[in-house]
Amino acid sequence: MSVSDNPVSETSFVRRALVTFVYGWLVLFLILPLVVVFVEALRQGIEPFFAALIEPDALTAIKLTLLVSAIAVPANLIFGLAASWAIAKFQFRGRNMLITLIDLPFSVSPVISGLVFVLLYGANGLFGQFLITHKLQIIFAVPGIVLATIFVTFPFVARQLIPLMQAQGNDEEEAALSLGATGFRTFLSVTLPNIKWALFYGVLLCNARAMGEFGAVSVVSGHIRGYTNTMPLHVEILYNEYNFVAAFAVASLLALLALVTLVLKSLLEWRDARNGKISAH
Amino acid sequence: MEKSVLTKASHDTSPTGFTPVRIEVEGLRQSFGKFPALNGVSLAIEPGELLALLGPSGSGKTTLLRAIAGLATPDDGRILFQGEEANRLSLRERRVGFVFQQYALFRHMTVFDNIAFGLRVRPRKLRPKKSDIATRVQHLLKLVQLDDLGSRFPSQLSGGQRQRVALARALAIEPRVLLLDEPFGALDAKVRKELRHWLRGLHNETGLTTIFVTHDQEEALELADRVVIMREGVIEQIGKPADIYDHPATPFVCEFLGNIIKVNTTIVDGLAPALGKSFAPVGDASKGPAVAYVRNHDVDVLPDGSEGAAAKLLSTRTFGGSLALEFDVAGFAAPVEIHIPRMSDAPVAFTAGALYRLKARKAYVFSGR
Amino acid sequence: MAAASLPGKFLNRAPSIIPGFGLTMGITVSWLSFIVLLPLVALVLRATGIGFEGFAAMLGDQRVLSALKLSFGAALAGALINAFAGLIIAWVLVRYTFPGRRLVDGLIDLPFALPTAVSGLALAALYAPNGWLGVPLAELGIKVAFTPTGVVIACMFIGLPFVVRQVQPVLGDVDKALEEAAATLGATRVQTIFRVILPMILPALLAGFALAFARAVGEYGSIIFIAGNLPFKSEIAPLLIIIKLEEFNYEGATAIAVIMLLLSFAVLLAVNLLQSWGRRRTGLGS
Repeated sequence: MSVSDNPVSETSFVRRALVTFVYGWLVLFLILPLVVVFVEALRQGIEPFFAALIEPDALTAIKLTLLVSAIAVPANLIFGLAASWAIAKFQFRGRNMLITLIDLPFSVSPVISGLVFVLLYGANGLFGQFLITHKLQIIFAVPGIVLATIFVTFPFVARQLIPLMQAQGNDEEEAALSLGATGFRTFLSVTLPNIKWALFYGVLLCNARAMGEFGAVSVVSGHIRGYTNTMPLHVEILYNEYNFVAAFAVASLLALLALVTLVLKSLLEWRDARNGKISAH
Repeated sequence: MEKSVLTKASHDTSPTGFTPVRIEVEGLRQSFGKFPALNGVSLAIEPGELLALLGPSGSGKTTLLRAIAGLATPDDGRILFQGEEANRLSLRERRVGFVFQQYALFRHMTVFDNIAFGLRVRPRKLRPKKSDIATRVQHLLKLVQLDDLGSRFPSQLSGGQRQRVALARALAIEPRVLLLDEPFGALDAKVRKELRHWLRGLHNETGLTTIFVTHDQEEALELADRVVIMREGVIEQIGKPADIYDHPATPFVCEFLGNIIKVNTTIVDGLAPALGKSFAPVGDASKGPAVAYVRNHDVDVLPDGSEGAAAKLLSTRTFGGSLALEFDVAGFAAPVEIHIPRMSDAPVAFTAGALYRLKARKAYVFSGR
Repeated sequence: MAAASLPGKFLNRAPSIIPGFGLTMGITVSWLSFIVLLPLVALVLRATGIGFEGFAAMLGDQRVLSALKLSFGAALAGALINAFAGLIIAWVLVRYTFPGRRLVDGLIDLPFALPTAVSGLALAALYAPNGWLGVPLAELGIKVAFTPTGVVIACMFIGLPFVVRQVQPVLGDVDKALEEAAATLGATRVQTIFRVILPMILPALLAGFALAFARAVGEYGSIIFIAGNLPFKSEIAPLLIIIKLEEFNYEGATAIAVIMLLLSFAVLLAVNLLQSWGRRRTGLGS
């Protein structure tokens, strides 16, 4: 038996082999898929790329995607704040049950997430008759897309905030209240500064998912070109029409969004790690 | 401590008992980056000796222990186990019993499985039979007085019990030397005292060469056969506890052993005055500036008018069997604290604000400032 | 706020001086009911209308059966591969320093951030018969696009971060002294890894496996492009739900959805039981 430099680490050969494995795996399964999107998008040069983006249907899809996330993200932001306040700041029976219910949309297939809204608001659905008589349309229309998007992004903000607020406890809030601050004032000047980065993080992830959601939206949208097409749906239509350059051009915009999300997320995590190190000393 | 359980028992069941081993450390050097943790340490540990490595944090004591264990590879120097160079041995071949500071028990294993671990991971040829392992573990459990707790998990044990499991686990591999890193550091004061006595008893029984690291001078002086005081990667002093206490070799040792009054003084004609009396310096300096170290309890408090340094009593406070007196003494920036035994009828009445004389009985004078 | 303050008493709340319970609880419960509970109730109502025969008929349909088999089989295979690769990636990220470590760490979350339609498109392009990976694989006689293998590849892509992110923090918390203890007790490195470290991170690995599996079972966007969606061969269950919906066969869609939900809950329950059994057995805290 030979003696290695460090009795509690692998030999340098094994270490190198494992690092190589990781790089290989990453290149093969993560980096290549990312790169191929941009390469395919620019296959015929820069002009067809931009042409695909400013084409009217593409523009409508971009606008609809922005609109949907502009509704869904604030809705879940307000919900997330309310839910984490109620759950983290108070002790009551059924708290864990409530957390489980909030997490539920994560464990439901996106297609099923869309399906449940069809079953509820579709022509054949629970409220179908009521909606038809009142000439309201939810399914195959923008409201359905918004609802399905809110459903699939439901847990993001709350899930970031609840554990953090539970860990931080009530001490600072109680101090502020005992000094005479109102509840709302306490929230604004004590709680919010403590949770702002986690809140931002939750909003970031929520937004990425809202803009990129495909399965659920696909079920409720009806794919009406130029009307109920979001960017991911538009990508699918273009692809099915063998208009690959345009499909990848729109896809590359979404990939860019993902990259920006990743960079911001990493920056936040490094910031946390650095602060953690400083406070540990 | 009850009569020996292990030594007898292990002779019955296993061919190998504990064989005390002589350990030599020669010119050990190790640095972490630019920081030298060991700066040329040489040391011989007699077979069966109980040795304490004492020093403040960063003194290199833990690095030395880890080097002896083989957990760290020194940059330079040799470690000999019974004359055999250990640097070339793997951890398995070295057979050291190491007790970690936080015990490092395997949380997902029972106490029994923890203790049996070292036997079960042996190569098939050397692995004892299942039934032999069970008997061995039972003996060890008895030895550390945890007979009935074999099926518990570490999370279900108290700190003191975990410590003993860690010890039993280390003993299971029939180590040639037992190494303990701050063995009592994580325990509360009462358990700490109990375990100290118990460890001494265990050492007497097993007769193993044992080295432990501590930053607690009381622990080292009470428990060890010999104490090694370390500072910044070098050995300051080695000796029996009483010798070190009575004849501290350096100012650092004086200060580290604690409870001292530092007096700036000057050696004239081979004598230095300190708190009402003159003392010969350690070494052979005959003149020049010096520092005298006086232990708090090596000072007599005399009525005003006696011979000694004039002092005004600031306050008194009792702790346990002692009385702590705080004096304002001319030439001292901070108040001087003296400890005297607390007696029901003290010969002198202590009144705050009154004047007294202080006279040192003993001081250690080192030349230089 | 009379209605909103009701849950306070109703839920047996412990007294607190923090205000706003009624308001925030009111928002939470009503929004949760509207967005999550109400739609799920619609699903349950519709499912009860189908009856036993309806479900039996669905399960008797070969096309449905093979779609379910593919969705669950590919998700299982993908999660297993991810458990293996994810463990190694987490190990390397936690234990080793190497050039580009931070970049690798950040990139792991790509499948979380990338819209599923985009990853689906990308995988289809890569593994297409004329794609970057499709060509060399075809030379080896391996066909990925439009086969169940393609579905497994997509499941691997989307599930990887779940395993890595579950294992990473737990592995980082494993005390180095445990490994040193094992080594001083004579364990080889392999013994230390398999007997000491792996058992400690097994619960996290199982959790990561379960999450990757659950995500892959229901996945739609990443899969449909590469799968080719040939009935009986590479058609996944979520797609079949959409097909039934497009045929206005709400019962059929609901039945498949309920079967999928029940099956995934069964798998998650099994993993949970396994974990708590392990926890009880080893006395580890949660």
